[in-house]
Amino acid sequence: MLVKVEKLHKVYDNGTHALKGVSFEVQEGEFLVVIGLSGSGKSTLLRCINRLHEPTAGKVFFDDKDVTHVKGQELRELKKHIGMVFQQFNLIKRRSVLTNVITGRLGSLTTWQSITEKFPDDVVADAYKYLEMVGIADKAKVRADSLSGGQQQRVAIARSLMQDPKLLLADEPVASLDPATSNSVMQYFEKINKELGTTVICNLHFLSLVRRYATRVIALKHGEVVFQGDPSEISEEWFKAIYGDEAEEVEIR
Amino acid sequence: MEIEELHIDPVKIIENKKRKEFKLNLIKASLLDAFLIFYSVLVLQRIIYYKFILQLKDAPFTWGEIGLIALASLIAGFAWGYSRTSLSGKLLGVAKENSVTKWTVELFGWFLFNLTFIAGWVSTGVSIVDLFSSEGIQGAQRIFAALFNPELNIFDQSVFAIIETIYIALVATVLSIPITLILSFLSARNLMDDNAINMGIYYTLRVVLNFIRSIEPLIWAIIFSVWVGIGPYAGMIALLVHTIASNAKLYSEAIESIDAGPVEAIAATGANKIQIIWYAVVPQIILPFLSFTIYRWDINVRMATIIGMVGGGGIGTMLIQYQGLAKWNEVGLIVIMIALVVWLMDYISTKVRQAIY
Repeated sequence: MLVKVEKLHKVYDNGTHALKGVSFEVQEGEFLVVIGLSGSGKSTLLRCINRLHEPTAGKVFFDDKDVTHVKGQELRELKKHIGMVFQQFNLIKRRSVLTNVITGRLGSLTTWQSITEKFPDDVVADAYKYLEMVGIADKAKVRADSLSGGQQQRVAIARSLMQDPKLLLADEPVASLDPATSNSVMQYFEKINKELGTTVICNLHFLSLVRRYATRVIALKHGEVVFQGDPSEISEEWFKAIYGDEAEEVEIR
Repeated sequence: MEIEELHIDPVKIIENKKRKEFKLNLIKASLLDAFLIFYSVLVLQRIIYYKFILQLKDAPFTWGEIGLIALASLIAGFAWGYSRTSLSGKLLGVAKENSVTKWTVELFGWFLFNLTFIAGWVSTGVSIVDLFSSEGIQGAQRIFAALFNPELNIFDQSVFAIIETIYIALVATVLSIPITLILSFLSARNLMDDNAINMGIYYTLRVVLNFIRSIEPLIWAIIFSVWVGIGPYAGMIALLVHTIASNAKLYSEAIESIDAGPVEAIAATGANKIQIIWYAVVPQIILPFLSFTIYRWDINVRMATIIGMVGGGGIGTMLIQYQGLAKWNEVGLIVIMIALVVWLMDYISTKVRQAIY
């Protein structure tokens, strides 16, 4: 068992009750997709797993260890093993692609090495290796904000791979991209999942992508799990239950 | 398995929080109402009644009377606040939504605005007569004539003085940079809100910087001319102190308004705080910081001329000397020099800042 979430609650300071007792488990090597409307608590859920957000109640286990309230060095150690990719890419815009990828290794570099930006050769070599893997090694020296959205997201994926993560979290990684680019970015996640054996938890909107890439699906609605199972089990009925009666499935190719 | 924490009911947490917040806001609103009533009564009595209606030079004053008004205002304020129809209640969102609230809020709002404006007019002693009296106009004509006929004999002297002024401003600005940088990180809320000790540092720094900033450079110059002696050094330290305090605020606000995305992304890699600041914060703030600093140099040149007048050295000291001797032709030259340099600095700083962005 890689991740186990038990009756997780999250209440924000402004009073929003984002997660209401969410429980599920993730096995090693799975490609778990979380679906649900905007505001259903998907992003909050991911951020409670790698502890960018503090859970209000409940427990989170990572690698059979209770990590719900770890602090300081222990917390950074946890984050080191969990990579994360965001909807808005969140790259450092004014820095080079290479530097951006290397930031994925900051948890293992000393503060002095980071500030002087003298990186060991093997770190730079790894950065090139992962840039190669996502197919943009030729862009290593250009500024991150000069790339297209899809390219920026691939840089972000390479950055997360620098952590050599056991778990990769992806928060709506293709929501800001066009359909064709979305599919190609999703293929990189599939590749990472299959070739490196990295467990992936991914928030998605489009059911066609869910059916194609997910090995298992959970659906959130108003902060509660309303569906857990195989992607092929999501019928029209389930779809309406998750997204509301007004919803209609759109196909992207 | 021990799962004690699961018994906390999050709904209760939310409700408790909301109830506490409402109570606190009601007290805040009542205190604010009390203050507004206190202010209105005081202005009505002292400015409108004594000064305007009775035309008294020395209005009678006793602490007992003020205390009585304060006490009455406090009672009235809380009565009004807790009726939940008050102006402050509306501002803090604890008032009931009904016609009584709407009516009182509008009426009291207009009353406060007009009262303040009328009191301001009376206090300023606005007088059309003084502006257009023949004696006054003659005096103005004499000074203007001299100002537009500058004495060129002191030109070389004033050039050296104005260069000194520019240097005072430059040194103060450059020295301020490293100190301001450190202080701005410590007084940015989004970097300091992770634990109680940091929040303590944050609030203490805010208070201290606000205090320093609220004292004008002119006053700092007076203080330092006593401390280190009259001259350019005192002027430079005065500017330095004020520059640090004002720029620390600007810088820290720039830090607070950065895109949180990269910070989150770098934090998610397991980086420590210094690494997060270096990679996710610094690249986002470097240009605004440069821009603020150059603009501040421009401001400091202008301030340095004023500071010279109280013993801060440079062109201002020269200006105040000739003004004291009523040598208006010399003053005319100095004023023209200052205007030229200020215009030039303004032009350069605008161009440089445009080039940066």
